[in-house]
Amino acid sequence: MHGWIGRCLRVNLTKNDFKLEEISQELMNKFLGGRGLGVKILFDEIDPMVDPLYPDNKLIFVSGPLVGTGAVTGASCNVITKSALSGTIACAKLRGHFGAELKYSGLDMIIVEGRAEFPVILSILDDKIVIQPALEYWGRTTSETENMFKSSLSDRWAARDTYLLSIGPAGEKLVPMANVINDGFLSVGGAGIGAVMGSKNLKAIAVKGNHSVTVADGNRFVQVVTTLINKLNSAPLTSQSMSSWGSAFLVGLCNQKAILPFKNFQSSSFEESKQIGTEALSSAFALRSRGCFACPIACIKKADVDNRFYKGKGMAPTYLAIGALGLNCGITDLTNIGIANMICGEMGLDPVAAGGTIATAMELERKGLLTKDSLKLDLRFGNGEDLIQALTLMATKKGHVKRIGRGAKALAEEYGHPELFMGVKNIPLAPFDPRAIQGMGLHFATSNYGPHHLYAYTFIDEVLNVHEKSDPWTTEGKPELVKRFQDITAVMDSLGLCNWSLMGLKFNNFVPLINSCLGTSYKAEDLLQTGERVWNLERLFNMRAGFNRSHDSLPERFYNEPIEDGPAKGQISKANEMLDDYYGLRGWDNKGQPSAEILRALELESRDAKNKD
Amino acid sequence: MPRIKIDHNKCTGCRHCETACSLNHVAGVANPRRSRIRVFREGTTYFPTIAGPFVDAACTSKNDLIIGDHTYDMCLICRASCPEKPFFIEAETGFPLKCDFCGIPPSPSCVRWCNSGALELVED
Repeated sequence: MHGWIGRCLRVNLTKNDFKLEEISQELMNKFLGGRGLGVKILFDEIDPMVDPLYPDNKLIFVSGPLVGTGAVTGASCNVITKSALSGTIACAKLRGHFGAELKYSGLDMIIVEGRAEFPVILSILDDKIVIQPALEYWGRTTSETENMFKSSLSDRWAARDTYLLSIGPAGEKLVPMANVINDGFLSVGGAGIGAVMGSKNLKAIAVKGNHSVTVADGNRFVQVVTTLINKLNSAPLTSQSMSSWGSAFLVGLCNQKAILPFKNFQSSSFEESKQIGTEALSSAFALRSRGCFACPIACIKKADVDNRFYKGKGMAPTYLAIGALGLNCGITDLTNIGIANMICGEMGLDPVAAGGTIATAMELERKGLLTKDSLKLDLRFGNGEDLIQALTLMATKKGHVKRIGRGAKALAEEYGHPELFMGVKNIPLAPFDPRAIQGMGLHFATSNYGPHHLYAYTFIDEVLNVHEKSDPWTTEGKPELVKRFQDITAVMDSLGLCNWSLMGLKFNNFVPLINSCLGTSYKAEDLLQTGERVWNLERLFNMRAGFNRSHDSLPERFYNEPIEDGPAKGQISKANEMLDDYYGLRGWDNKGQPSAEILRALELESRDAKNKD
Repeated sequence: MPRIKIDHNKCTGCRHCETACSLNHVAGVANPRRSRIRVFREGTTYFPTIAGPFVDAACTSKNDLIIGDHTYDMCLICRASCPEKPFFIEAETGFPLKCDFCGIPPSPSCVRWCNSGALELVED
C-alpha cells in the first residue's frame, strides 16, 4: 500500500473512547481517499436528516493519498460533515501543514462521533492519543489556542513540529457561519463546520508523528515532481501572479470583466479599482509568502497589522476576502478588509458566509427595512468600522447581534424580504457575479456544497483561458465545462491536491504523478469517473437530506435584474436554462435525481442507492 | 567548492526540501523526520537548516542572536544535532544524518525542488 497509511482513528467523545481501524483496500480503490472516502463514510454512517448540531452527526478529517508524499501542492486535507449552515453535506479544504502531519502521525482519517461532556482537545503526538480536558482553552481565539497548546508541551522542539486545527469563539458559540482554522489558515468552504466541531465540544486537534509515507516508484516519482515544478514555474499565472499576490491579483481582472460584485450584488462595476488592486495590497501590508506543504506556488500571504482596531499577524486578504468582506459590503479600504479577514481567522468565522450576511443586512438598512434600533448596530454600505464591529459581535454572540448571527437567509426572512438573500442552499454566494460568468453561475446553482467557486473553478477557462478558450457570457458548452470541473475538483480533493495548481497544469499532467505515487495504472478517464462517483454520492446525500431541483436555483435577482452598467451591461444569468442540459449530462432525471443507470455505471448500487425510502 | 546558499527572506516554509531529501536517500519514503534538512519557524521567518556535525554533548553556554528587532535563540539556527536539540537522527536506527549533496548533479535534491529561491547552489 503506497501513499495511503491505511489506518483510521475513530473517536467517540460521548464515551471518551477511541479505537484504531483499518481502511479497506476496496474503499481506497473506489474513492481514492480524501474527500471521496470521507463522503462515503458519512453517507454510510449518518442519517442525512439528522440535526447537524446533534451528537449523531459525525465529523471526518481525512487526508488524500498524495498528501505528505511531496507531490506538488499535495497538502489538502478535507473535513466532511453535515453543515450547520446549509444542512447539505459540507467539505472544507484545509491548507497548510495539518494534512501532511496527520499522515506522518500514522493516520489517513479521524472520525469524531458523539459529544464530549466538557471542552476537550484531541492530541495525537507520537502515537500517544489523548482526549484531554481543555476548559482553559474555551473562549480563546485560534492563535491563542495554538500558542497555549504549544507552550504546554514539555519538549520545545516537539512543539515546533506540532500542527493544530482549532475553532475560535464563533464555533464554540455554535454560530452557523463558523469555520475551522489550522496553522493560521482559514479553511476553504468551511462554513458551518466550526459549529459542528463546537457542538461536539472539541476545541482543537493536535497532530505530530514520525511515520513515513511511502511512494510506489520513488525514482519515477521524483522525476515527475521535478517536471511539474518546472512546468508551474514556466506558467505565468502560477510563477508570477499567484506567487506575488495570491488570489488577490484577480480583483483587477474581475473588475474589468464585471464579475466583481458590489454592494450585495446590486451592481458589478466598481470604479475605484486602483484603491484595491495589487499595488494597493502591497503598500497596505508587508506581504510575505507562506507555502502550504510541498507547494511551489506559495499563494498565501501573511501580513502585519498594527492600528487601533487590531494588532497582530494574519493572512492578508485573498480575492475571496476582498470580494466578500470588502466590495460586496461596499468597502474599498484595504486596511479595513484586511483587519476583517484577520478577525475572521482569529474568531473562526467564514469570510464568505459572514460577509454575505453583513452585505444582506446592509442592503436591508439601505432600503429602510431595518433600523439601527432593531439591530442595535450601524450597518452602512462602505463603512469598514461597522463591518469590523459586526464581525466581532457576531462571533461572540454578544449584544443584539444574535439576529445576524443566524446567517444571511434567516436575517432576510426575518425582515420579510427573502429575495435579498444572495445565496444558494442557505450559503451566500462567493464573490463572483453569475450574470457575467455563466458557467460559474450554473456551478453555483448546482453545487453540492453551496455556491463556492473552489468546487469547480470554471473561471480558469472562462476568464483566464488557461486550458481552453471560452467566453464568459455564452452558455454554449458550459454544462460540459461545469461537469468536467466539478469532477476534476472532486478527484483532486480526494487525492489531496490543491485546485490552484490547475492555473499552471492540466489535469492530465497529474496522471503520471498519481500512478508513480500509488503504483496504479489509472488513465485520466478512470480518475474523472471517480470524481463523478464522488459528486453523485454527495448528490444522493443531499437528496436524502431533502434537497431537490428547487434548491438548484440562483436568487431571482440574477435572472430578472440585468447588470445596469459597465462592460457587462444588460447581462442576466441563464443558469436555469442550462439546468436541464446539465442534468442530462449527469444522467439525472428532471427532478435532479441520479438515475439507476448512472448509479450502476458508477458502482454506487446496493446500499448506496437505497435513497428512496 | 559548491555551497548551498540559504536565503531566509525567501523561504515560504513549504518544506518541499524536506521531502526531497527524504525521497532521495531512502527510495520511495517521504518523511521529514528522516530528512537532512529541516525548516524551523520562528514568528513569520523560516530557517532552512542543513544537518551538520553530530555531537553527544550540548553546549554549556546559551547564545542569543539579534537580527533587526527580533531576538533569536542561537540553537534554532545551529546545524549540530545534540542532546539538547535531537534533530537529524534516524528515529529507527539512531543513526546520525548529515548532508551529502545528494541527487543528480549539479544541484542537490533539496535545491532542485526549492521553488522560492531560498536554497541556491553557488560555486566559488
